Amino acid sequence: MTEVYKHIHPSKYFNDYINQDVRPDGRDFDQQRDVIININGITSADASAIVKCGNTTVVCGIKLELARPKAEEPDIGFLISNVELLPLCSSKFRPGPPSDYAQVISNIVSDIVINSKCVDLKDLCVVTDKLAWVIYCDLVCLDYDGSIVDACIIALITSLKTLSLPTVTYDNETEEVKVDTGVKIPLQVHGLPVATSFGIYHKLPRNIILADPSAYEEEMCGGIGANLIVCWNKGLFCGIQKFGGCNLSTEDEKRTISLAKQRCKLVEQVIETCIKNGEVK
Amino acid sequence: MPLDYKRFNGPEDSVSYKRFTADYLKSYDELHSELIDETGHRKDGRAMDEARPMYVRGNFVSQAKGSSYIEMRGTKVVCSVFDPREIVHQNEFSTVGLLFCEVKFAPFACKRQRQSHVPDSEEKALSVALRKAVGPTVCCQLFANFQIDIFVYIIESDGSCLAAAITAAGLALANAAVPMFDVVTASSVAIIGDKIFIDPTEDEEHLAMISPDTNTNHGVITMARLNGLMQIADFRQIGSLDIECILKVTDILEQECQKVFPKIQKTLVGYVKNGIMEQKRLSEEGKAREAKLKDKMLEWRSSIVNNSV
Amino acid sequence: MQDFKLKPMKCELNYLSKSDGSAILSQGDTVVLASVNGPMDIKTVNQSIEKATLEVLFCSKEGKPSVADRYKENIIRHTCETAILGCLYPRTGITLTIQELENYGGLLTCAVNCACLALINSGVGMRHAVAALSCCVDGAGELVLEPTHAQATAARARLHFVFDSREKSLVTGFTEGTFSEGTYEEALARCRAASDLVFAFYRDIVSNYCHVI
Repeated sequence: MTEVYKHIHPSKYFNDYINQDVRPDGRDFDQQRDVIININGITSADASAIVKCGNTTVVCGIKLELARPKAEEPDIGFLISNVELLPLCSSKFRPGPPSDYAQVISNIVSDIVINSKCVDLKDLCVVTDKLAWVIYCDLVCLDYDGSIVDACIIALITSLKTLSLPTVTYDNETEEVKVDTGVKIPLQVHGLPVATSFGIYHKLPRNIILADPSAYEEEMCGGIGANLIVCWNKGLFCGIQKFGGCNLSTEDEKRTISLAKQRCKLVEQVIETCIKNGEVK
Repeated sequence: MPLDYKRFNGPEDSVSYKRFTADYLKSYDELHSELIDETGHRKDGRAMDEARPMYVRGNFVSQAKGSSYIEMRGTKVVCSVFDPREIVHQNEFSTVGLLFCEVKFAPFACKRQRQSHVPDSEEKALSVALRKAVGPTVCCQLFANFQIDIFVYIIESDGSCLAAAITAAGLALANAAVPMFDVVTASSVAIIGDKIFIDPTEDEEHLAMISPDTNTNHGVITMARLNGLMQIADFRQIGSLDIECILKVTDILEQECQKVFPKIQKTLVGYVKNGIMEQKRLSEEGKAREAKLKDKMLEWRSSIVNNSV
Repeated sequence: MQDFKLKPMKCELNYLSKSDGSAILSQGDTVVLASVNGPMDIKTVNQSIEKATLEVLFCSKEGKPSVADRYKENIIRHTCETAILGCLYPRTGITLTIQELENYGGLLTCAVNCACLALINSGVGMRHAVAALSCCVDGAGELVLEPTHAQATAARARLHFVFDSREKSLVTGFTEGTFSEGTYEEALARCRAASDLVFAFYRDIVSNYCHVI
């Protein structure tokens, strides 16, 4: 019966819940969903992580390649991250090239990684002007249930942290490249950016902030995608994006920032324990 | 290759580092000799006629009507099925429903080079094969002018991808409560000379297809079977094989498909059981709520009567 | 009250004769042209029964589409959607086309301001006007409002904010680089105060335009 009600009156259904100070899935307004991480589950990738935030599932696989650095920047390598929103993860997405929304998410994720400077691109250079690593990070969404950026960032950072680069020898005269997979050096990852998404639901007398919104909640807060994404990295912000939804007052903003900081500590712990457990295995 | 404006692109000349490793190029004979060790076991320790252990689950994707996940060691496949929807851009009324299948590889699915984002011929061939294999089991006449989308995503591929995709699609369709004649399962073999590899890995499949000798048997066969009806839904052969060999392999494949069947059945029955229990619980809760409401109503009424008196 | 100085702004409304509303705006050396068409009929699939559908097209100077352009479109679309009274025109579409002409920093803020002026010019019902401002943190950690191109490229972080004209609350915000919480709050407060200048400029432009007709 409730399912039918949800389909016929989606906004009223949602409003009824909010008026009772609870969200449709039983969470409090501030409460975030549990995070589950599995590392190196995919053997065909050089490093990988599968992250579940509630129902939202994102797989990150890293493939390493070698290329000549750009002529204008001969001493840096490449870090290419793309987010793929498959038609299989939600009925909102259709097959074909990435939709506008997928491109926006790709851009946000890639911006956060670049801004946080968690990977020094100079570490990726093997021989100046001759050879550099290209790290392809492909983030694939298997289940879209909101707050996709959070899950993407966790998956990306976790797999970067577990990545190690094989040693490369380059012969300057013959230009011959040799790769030894026996000896691997872990990639240096500085910092640990964690993104936290919020939905802002318009309600009088004051708007309601929903932490870690699900796909349904995102829809109720003005369309697909979260309204506010705060990214905190070891004491510094590396991206605050606000778009759509309702306008944000100063006090709401302060609350979201403190929530984002709390969340960051928690996620950090989860990632670190996961990597530790993975190493023991 | 035209530049992809909708993604971030790496440098054009980048190549996988595996190209520069010592064991990148190996001759056919070398690879062939590596497949089986002295004791007659395969590289991963399996016997020749031993399939990999299979993990099966449904309800994998929360947003889909029905979905499934299948893992056979190195082969991991996700499938989801959505509600039937009206066929767009079609002028004529079609009396039978359509199936739309799409198989995609993850960019990191293959061990060797990175998979391109643009659908390649292999993905297209797999999509067609999947549609042909699943088509006979779906009651298409029940949803005229509608189409059902089946999406398969291969997270990691280590051989027998098509077989895994078909089995996953069969389970996902049943999970989505799409009317079907029977549960479809599939299995594949690779044949190199007189050896038959059941449930082959990527290396075995690869070798079976590139055999330099044309006189000996070599190839890969994938077969989909409707187990309750004891019918073959699809039979796909690549390579050159003689008739005796095919007949022999068909029997083996039938048995293999039959072995997978109970696993799928068990999973589905489990979901039906859970569904019934859930419904029972919900209706009981509903009744309890109604009773409470009724009590409150009575209380309220009596208070009104009292007040008016 | 601090004395804010913004880059010199010049604007011409109704720059294009064939569109329903248009504006060309220069902020410093950055120049953007925006045109609005609508409300008009669109394909049934894109129609919404609740409000007008806003389509934003951002054309960069190079002409080649890129992922970053889609991101800019997304920001402009979300910003303008909150500004427009879309519920007045259900089942219709409003198209907003933005052409980058010169880019010497602050392109996106200029584009948002230009889009707002074009929307005002087109006569589409609006809830409020919006003003976009940017601010950067230089190497020494000092805040610079409306940085020049050289300052912006050398900066540690660039922060951009869009405010509405009624309550000065934050409509849109996006940042590049890393910065501390204190910097963020100060930048926000400064940009909020400086938004008055942008709104005053809007008022000037629109009243001048009224005199002409």
